[in-house]
Amino acid sequence: MSRSSHHERGDIGARFPKVDGAGKADGSGVYTDDLAFPRMLHAKLLRSPHAHARILNIDVSAAERLPGVIATLVGAEMPAKYGVIPWTHDEQALATDHVRFIGDEVACVAALDERTAEEALRLIRVDYEPLPALLSAEEALAHPEIKVNEKAKVGNITKEVKLEFGPVDEAIATAAAITRERYQYAGSTHAPIEPHCAVARVDGDGNLTVWSSTQIPHYVHRELARVLGLPPARVRVIQPLLGGAFGGKSDPFSLEFCVAKLALKTGRPVKILFTREEVFYAHRGRHPMAMDVTVALDAGGRISAVDNKILIDGGAYASFGLVTAYYAGQLLTGPYRFGTYRFDSKRMYTNKPPCGPKRGHGSVQPRFAFEVALDEAAEKLGIDPIEVRRRNFIGEDVETVNGQRITSNGFLKCLELVEQASGWKERHGKLGPGRGLGVAGSMYISGTAYPVYPNEMPQSGVLVKLDRSGRVAVFSGASDIGQGVNTLLCQIAAEELGCDPREVTVVAADTDLTPVDMGAYSSRVTFMNGLAAREACEKLARKLKAAASVRVGDEIELELGTVRGPRGSISFAEACQLAEAAEGAPLSATGGYRTQKLGGNYRGGTIGASPAYSFTAHVAEVEVDEETGIWKVTRIWAAHDCGKALNPTLVEGQIEGSVYMGAAEAQMEEMVYGKQGLLFGPSLLDYKIPTSLDTPLIDALIVESHDPNGPYGAKEAGEGPLHPAIPAIANAIHDACGIRLRELPFYPQRVLQLLQARVPGQERRTAC
Amino acid sequence: MLTLPRLQLHRPGSVREAVELLASKPNARVLAGGTDIVPNLKHGIYETEHLIALRGLSSELRYVRRDGGRDGDSIRLGALCTIDQLSKDPDVLQSLPALADACRQIAGPQLRKMGTLGGNLCLDTRCVYINQSYFWRSALGFCLKKDGTACHVVAQGLRCVAAASNDTAPVLLALGASVRIVGPRGERVVPLADFYLHDGIHNTVLEPDELLVEAAVPLPAARLKQAFFKLRTRAAIDYSAINLAVALAVSPAGLVTALRLCVSALAARPALINRLQDLVGQPADLHLAEELGRRAQKQCKPLTNIGVDPAYRREILPVLVRRTVLRAIAS
Amino acid sequence: MSDSVLIRLFVNGEEHALAAPPQRTLLEALRYDLQLTGSKQGCDKGDCGACTVLVRERSATGRGEPILACITLAQDAQDLAIITIEGLATPAGLDPIQQAFADCGALQCGFCQPGMMLSARALLDRCERPSLPQIQDALSGNLCRCTGYTKIYEAIQVAAGLREPSSRAPVSSEKALPSDQVAYAVKELLP
Ligand SMILES: Cc1cc2nc3c(=O)[nH]c(=O)nc-3n(C[C@H](O)[C@H](O)[C@H](O)COP(=O)(O)OP(=O)(O)OC[C@H]3O[C@@H](n4cnc5c(N)ncnc54)[C@H](O)[C@@H]3O)c2cc1C
Ligand code: SF4
Ligand code: FES
Ligand code: FES
Repeated sequence: MSRSSHHERGDIGARFPKVDGAGKADGSGVYTDDLAFPRMLHAKLLRSPHAHARILNIDVSAAERLPGVIATLVGAEMPAKYGVIPWTHDEQALATDHVRFIGDEVACVAALDERTAEEALRLIRVDYEPLPALLSAEEALAHPEIKVNEKAKVGNITKEVKLEFGPVDEAIATAAAITRERYQYAGSTHAPIEPHCAVARVDGDGNLTVWSSTQIPHYVHRELARVLGLPPARVRVIQPLLGGAFGGKSDPFSLEFCVAKLALKTGRPVKILFTREEVFYAHRGRHPMAMDVTVALDAGGRISAVDNKILIDGGAYASFGLVTAYYAGQLLTGPYRFGTYRFDSKRMYTNKPPCGPKRGHGSVQPRFAFEVALDEAAEKLGIDPIEVRRRNFIGEDVETVNGQRITSNGFLKCLELVEQASGWKERHGKLGPGRGLGVAGSMYISGTAYPVYPNEMPQSGVLVKLDRSGRVAVFSGASDIGQGVNTLLCQIAAEELGCDPREVTVVAADTDLTPVDMGAYSSRVTFMNGLAAREACEKLARKLKAAASVRVGDEIELELGTVRGPRGSISFAEACQLAEAAEGAPLSATGGYRTQKLGGNYRGGTIGASPAYSFTAHVAEVEVDEETGIWKVTRIWAAHDCGKALNPTLVEGQIEGSVYMGAAEAQMEEMVYGKQGLLFGPSLLDYKIPTSLDTPLIDALIVESHDPNGPYGAKEAGEGPLHPAIPAIANAIHDACGIRLRELPFYPQRVLQLLQARVPGQERRTAC
Repeated sequence: MLTLPRLQLHRPGSVREAVELLASKPNARVLAGGTDIVPNLKHGIYETEHLIALRGLSSELRYVRRDGGRDGDSIRLGALCTIDQLSKDPDVLQSLPALADACRQIAGPQLRKMGTLGGNLCLDTRCVYINQSYFWRSALGFCLKKDGTACHVVAQGLRCVAAASNDTAPVLLALGASVRIVGPRGERVVPLADFYLHDGIHNTVLEPDELLVEAAVPLPAARLKQAFFKLRTRAAIDYSAINLAVALAVSPAGLVTALRLCVSALAARPALINRLQDLVGQPADLHLAEELGRRAQKQCKPLTNIGVDPAYRREILPVLVRRTVLRAIAS
Repeated sequence: MSDSVLIRLFVNGEEHALAAPPQRTLLEALRYDLQLTGSKQGCDKGDCGACTVLVRERSATGRGEPILACITLAQDAQDLAIITIEGLATPAGLDPIQQAFADCGALQCGFCQPGMMLSARALLDRCERPSLPQIQDALSGNLCRCTGYTKIYEAIQVAAGLREPSSRAPVSSEKALPSDQVAYAVKELLP
């Protein structure tokens, strides 16, 4: 195997192979369920078969008598409420008196093996008093007298946000073209291929360790200590390799509390591995949203007003719901300039598995609605879809209508790249019956100024230690959830210190050993953890240079293993030794990311305010079978402005994965519930996620706008590129056959219905 | 994990031994490739403590044979042929291209390596309300097919209408195949048209102690024009939302001399569309294809036993039939 | 607790004997009895491909064909020679497929990848220079949630010597002028 030269280097911008790649390639990488300990017990959770009920009594005595059962657990043993956001603690590890969806956890059994634990579950008697279940946001709104979750102050509302920026109604009244439509976004879920798993062990001194497939070790640490009533200093949370998350592992979950409590109770290690079905109940996926959107354009095709009324179906618990209600409105105000803007978003509690942050949290749904509406409005004015997006470009170093500061903005370049790559000018509107192209754009945050629990401490920390051998150890709290942050840490160390990136050890996501990081959500990791790492490395680089200058002179360059000066060069290890001697102590330094004050000067103005925004444009190509409504997305060109590609291979991977996941939501993914609130087909057979044969060809194009604030100019790449896929596909289907899809997923039957409702002469969009 | 119930596995080395085991072990069930029965066992759909694994019979029951008989040539397919094998076998590709096509579209590559023809023909019926975990079914209140008393597909229904979901069945039905069955009472040959029953709980005439050992397809002198179509949401790892197969013989003058159309994934029994005799003698053309589409639509009633909207499936059926018939004619 | 049976498995060229309940699946035996945790579990009922291993009759040659360990009974796999992801590399180094997956960024979370790489290995074993449709077809039983499959195709093509790893350079955007936006005072519509 010849390796191309760009693999050899490992500094910033190199296509350096992932540091844990080889460990995963040979099967040796350790994920949570790969852990096993002597005397380990296996536990299973009993779940509510009712969508809404009061618990009258729980009797575990028969289960306890089953041979092989070691312990049982009920909610009364750890009734404290928790939740990822401190203002909405509304969950219990095991329900004490109230179950809120089919699948809500009620009791737990630890046994010598899983089968015995499962059989024991069937021996637990729970007496329920069923309550009326509210299964949609509309129902939850209509029945404030039925309380899904006591945490709601008014009716069943988790959170309502209403904000208006400028005279929206005036702008609408004078518009040249308006679209006013209702859009429905179906709920979908993350479906990481690794099911959630947690293992707990208590050592002889009473210290508790929990290994968990989580993307937020720090919050799990906090909540475990609180719920179990342990001093946080006695609790350690470790995140092993993570088999995919996408936001689905960014809440504390019942299994973490249960393994911990059972380990404390039995003195033995305890493991819980969710079945695939249980992963569906843990959910925290995309919120279903109904959106009444108005988009108004002036005669020049400028967006003069956007109005969005959003009803959000949240499920039984809040999760990040407070944020969702804001993100649904706050993140729409780029890459285009909005003349005026208003949104009213309401997140409801319902008797279904709780929704949460799925890749592109809160903003994928309104983005879909808006980008389709924009296309529609532009069509009325006869403006080409790419042209209308170009004309409304908001620019750089500007403030959005809702007071968010945009720094770098490479959106125009993104549009240009996808326009060229897709052959838009020659092909849009001209592809022949049943084939079409569609475009859409989007913006997303690189972390948020809102740190979930406000405090004066840094949001992300890194400790770097140099050994006299030349080995660099980076201790980072950040979670590598597959996106590759551990690799970026090696590259940052290589860039700053001049070490060989292969001689960097990353110790990550272990609350005993590593500094705190808030977790892998809101696309904050590369940005915030990257800046923290750079700060720590810079401090060490100064010390290295000072010490090395004695030997090689001033004006030192640190480059991949060598320290070069006017008077010669020494190895990186020698420089470390000189520096350690000069310091008279081992060499280490820390760096942190301190939350900036950002955002509009109004309540909620900080939510969605980010130190930098990423931008994306997609063009999708589709084929529609007009007789059956069956359609296929054959190719998507996706250009993404990530500021600076610290590692282009990883950025492309994020773009490709995002495009896939967006296209999947357009094609086939939906959480469907029956009348009783029972989730249909909680399996990877019934909840269909695309195979290789269903996934379009994806062309990932990287745009660099070199952000002044990001590490080396970098912004995010993991979530933004998902957004445009869905509206680009909808717009492409319109180009192919003249119909407007406003409800997800675009099932063939929906397509067929719209095709049949077409009026003659509307078969094709007219090319502009 | 999704744990299996406690059970014993028996590994006979011959058909005779297998049949003896089936007869002697209470509630014993056959395990061939296991791709259907193992997930079902994990879901707690069967009460059985004994599985009879057929792997040891591979040398006996894994063959594709052509032979001439009194009624002309036929092609014999051993029950332990894998789906993958049938999708690539030169004889099958040549004489039964629609079967190879159906096999290529079953599940995914690994499942096709594991799954067998016998297992496919004996595949348990499927329904969105039954192929679920014990917990899920308990939350639903169970159903007729297992542990319950009501059907959630047909309200007040007294018979389970879970769907025949095997993709080889419609093809082999259209091609007029028969199956050979061995049991403690000896051997019998059953035309496939008589093999399936209108009962989702047990949709074949197979007795619990019998083994399906072979499917045989007659090869009439005038080679049948044939085609298969499968409607599904996902391009792999997905059961049919509708599948259909057509076989027709066409005279040199372009007139239909024999004709069979089978539509499945509807209810427990694959539906051979009946009353087609009047079409024999008609030209094999678009008109015929459209007429077959209309008749299929009249005779087929998709149900909510499958996750894809039944009204939609019914609506597009004529289009699917028309296209498949035209494809067969052109073959 | 049911009585255990003796199960012999021939994995990665080594003979193993283990005592386990008769209903033990091959995946459980590999992961929990033999500590070959490279084989993953994503659904445990045949839907995802994470548990893919290669098998052949013991008397046959070659590496074998991909099957799903989660719905195979360990007892029923005793006549087979099994290769797991741990058996793909040699002391000389990673298999070209593994190397290419690592080099091309085909591994994101890595969880689907042992199964994916074994399916890919089996493909290249029977077809040295596969076309893209052949690759897509061969992987259609392995669900990946991270990569959009794109870099996996690339890695297989690289391993087959059909192309070099991707090296398209990022494009810089030009400085864009600020827009002529007017800022409005915010109206909070809620108390
Ligand atoms: C995710 C997934 C997707 C699938 N998709 C499809 C699909 O698209 N189309 C499709 O047709 N199938 C599909 N299948 C089902 C299955 O893979 C095939 O139908 C396969 O051919 C079944 O064969 P088997 O040998 O594995 O059956 P087994 O599971 O071994 O047996 C199936 C049933 O038949 C009985 N049986 C098996 N052999 C005999 C015999 N010789 N005599 C008497 N009884 C016997 C068994 O007792 C059992 O009840 C899918 C399965 C999975 C897990
Ligand atoms: S058709 Fe009715 S009885 Fe049969 S499996 Fe489905 S719900 Fe149960
Ligand atoms: S674990 Fe999903 S197919 Fe085996
Ligand atoms: S790499 Fe994560 S599922 Fe494929």
